[in-house]
Amino acid sequence: MNSLIEIGLQAPLRVDSTLCSRYRSTKSECAACAVVCPVPGAVRLGDGADNNGAEINAACVGCGACVSACPNGAIRPREDDRLAERIGERVQAGKVFRFACSRAQGRADLVVPCLSRLTEALVLEPIRGGAEGVALCAPDCSGCGLRKAAPQWARTMAFSQALCESAGLGAERISGVRTLSGEAEEIRLPAKAPTSRRRMFQSIAERWQASGEAALQGEAAEATPVEPFREIVQRHSENPKRMDLLRLLDALPGSGAASKAVATTGFPLAQLEVDSRCVGCNVCETLCPVGALSHREEGGAYTLEFAAAQCTGCGVCALACYHQAMHVREPAGLSQLFERPRITLVSARPRTCRSCGERILGDAAEFCPACQVSGDRRDAIARHFFSGGLKNV
Amino acid sequence: MAEYSPVIPREAVDRSFAKQGPKQYTLWVDIEHCIGCNACTVACKAENNTPVGVDYNRVIEIEEGDFRDAGKTPNVGVTFVPMPCMHCGRPACQAACPVGAITKRKEDGIVLINKDKCIGCRYCAWACPYGAPQFNAEAKIMEKCTLCVHRVEKGLQPACVTTCPAKVRFFGELNELTMLMKERRARGVSISVGGADTKPSVQYTK
Repeated sequence: MNSLIEIGLQAPLRVDSTLCSRYRSTKSECAACAVVCPVPGAVRLGDGADNNGAEINAACVGCGACVSACPNGAIRPREDDRLAERIGERVQAGKVFRFACSRAQGRADLVVPCLSRLTEALVLEPIRGGAEGVALCAPDCSGCGLRKAAPQWARTMAFSQALCESAGLGAERISGVRTLSGEAEEIRLPAKAPTSRRRMFQSIAERWQASGEAALQGEAAEATPVEPFREIVQRHSENPKRMDLLRLLDALPGSGAASKAVATTGFPLAQLEVDSRCVGCNVCETLCPVGALSHREEGGAYTLEFAAAQCTGCGVCALACYHQAMHVREPAGLSQLFERPRITLVSARPRTCRSCGERILGDAAEFCPACQVSGDRRDAIARHFFSGGLKNV
Repeated sequence: MAEYSPVIPREAVDRSFAKQGPKQYTLWVDIEHCIGCNACTVACKAENNTPVGVDYNRVIEIEEGDFRDAGKTPNVGVTFVPMPCMHCGRPACQAACPVGAITKRKEDGIVLINKDKCIGCRYCAWACPYGAPQFNAEAKIMEKCTLCVHRVEKGLQPACVTTCPAKVRFFGELNELTMLMKERRARGVSISVGGADTKPSVQYTK
């Protein structure tokens, strides 16, 4: 049925550029999606020109490794595959929930083309549903055509285990199981009511209509003038992947009990620090893909706040800061995902530059340092090279 | 000279340099014969319609000497130095821009700011050793000398060059201009700043 409703050659995944670190700042060298993509040439990274972000073309096979790998949740399936719902339907309390890749032998509760599609939120979903544990079943990945994606599911498993341990549930509840290669069989649930022919055709018609409407809307959007980049980056979308994870952590049984210190190197988390070089230019806030930074101006004071739970450690803020005032500190505690602190990074009284009218922090005089240096430099350079013209007189 | 220490990763500057094409359009300013009339500044403002406070080209006046030197004739002089954007070979502004709004065109070496991409953070103004990028407070974006790219593309010369009454500004390809300088036996001065040398393309002679 999928081929029936497909319109044109579209990649099964799409990139939400506003969440992509590379798109927002050319200084970012994030290549998380390209590193795990098993198909050569399916992910194209920008080269710093008009669009520096990642693009996925029709060569994509839809394994979903990049969906799981992108810390900012910028890549999503074009058509919602309802994985979380499907897991919720199949989970049985007190039993071990088995995920399997399609090459694994044996029976499993959910079969996905590649385990690398699973995000932390999906791996932990059965635990929320009351399952005793989660098993990720796969044969030796080295013989698989998607083997480049294999490290991703190992990373996801490690992060899920750390989260489990941090929530006081025990890391051993999530385990990887090596199986023989073969054909995985999905345990089919008995249908609650037999589907009638009428119902089936109705559902096809509904999907037809929906996909047609979406295509029409897409065309209409293309006709409108392209929004300039500088306005796009002022918008901050919610990171859907992190929001799913936070919602899930809220609902985990026994969560928030004991958030132990767990080694977190390599996880998409970070702690930020700002030193006295900050001038309050707000570039970090503007360019942060996930909206973890925000500023307030109240009672003549400028405050920069950091929502630690949203931060994915992409480092765009630190890379972009010209004054090198922002520092990414690792390792960060997993507790920031449970406690969600709002940390004040900077609090200072701003001044207004008399020349450009912009806000400045620090104890500069009436002109901001940027205005001061640019005028002074012109003078200084001209003097340095061309004074002493008298010698020719 | 004013203290200046651009915080630009060396590799970033090198990377931008690697992308440069062989052709470089630029200016030659003959300081010796500049009369400091500021016609270039005015022509530039008229051509590019810049608001008050935003000058792509500025003429720096250097007054030297002394009238009070007892027993000697007054020994004074003025030098005028027009300062446009240097359209550097390794632009510090490009390396500093966090969003990649500044590009050096491969076909003619002109450094341009993409107004759609610029977020007005003024990092280029911090980075430029020549004070070329200007902040447009109305539009909240950065602007700078474009070497009149709209005219150059039509085969015309920049407005400042055609206006100059003393004929001390010349426009052309870098190699052509150096040939011209040799022909006229003009003494060239490279105003490249040590440390993070950005390889400015604009030529000066005195």
